[in-house]
Amino acid sequence: MKRTVPRSTLKNLVKKHKPQLRLGGNTDLLVHLNFLLFLFRLAEEARTTAIEEKSKIIKYEHVVSSAKVIILKFFLETYFAYYNVKTVHNCIKF
Amino acid sequence: REKQGPSLPSTLVKKMFTHYVKMPVTKEALQVVDRCVNVYFKHLSNDLEAYVNHARRKTAEPADLELLMRRQGLITDKTPLNVLVERHLPLEYRKLLIPVAVSGNKVIPQKLK
Repeated sequence: MKRTVPRSTLKNLVKKHKPQLRLGGNTDLLVHLNFLLFLFRLAEEARTTAIEEKSKIIKYEHVVSSAKVIILKFFLETYFAYYNVKTVHNCIKF
Repeated sequence: REKQGPSLPSTLVKKMFTHYVKMPVTKEALQVVDRCVNVYFKHLSNDLEAYVNHARRKTAEPADLELLMRRQGLITDKTPLNVLVERHLPLEYRKLLIPVAVSGNKVIPQKLK
């Protein structure tokens, strides 16, 4: 795997979502680290679901079910106190 | 299928994901991964904005990311941020993030903001 970080691409990406948000020195590297960990967790989860279903390849539904778990874990867990489960499911609709 | 907002180049995401799963992945599954990345960045920029606004700043700082990762359960008391950086980022970026003492009793870089 290529280990270099596409720093300007990352900065532009965050800029496209939030135009007025600035990333201070080296923050983009930490964003990349977070992204790596996200993909890593997603991959691990997809792998375990695939193995549980005795599949030798990762299929569409494995990724979908694991994505729900991981995105929930990464971003929405703390919002549970404020929103009900239905809105959480709307957030991670595919 | 319509495009859902800006995203990282799909070839890059594909390479990274297949590296981590160590298993064959179908084409449809990779498309879902791509969409996950979209959702991820959407939530990430939302959260970052919330943190920055809360601190009454306009610039996101490394401390914000550290807080975010602490909330995500990635940084704990047993695994601080530096350990994660050492484990996952290559040396040239580690140099930028972790202060190291060099000759002449200088510390480079001086400190994370």
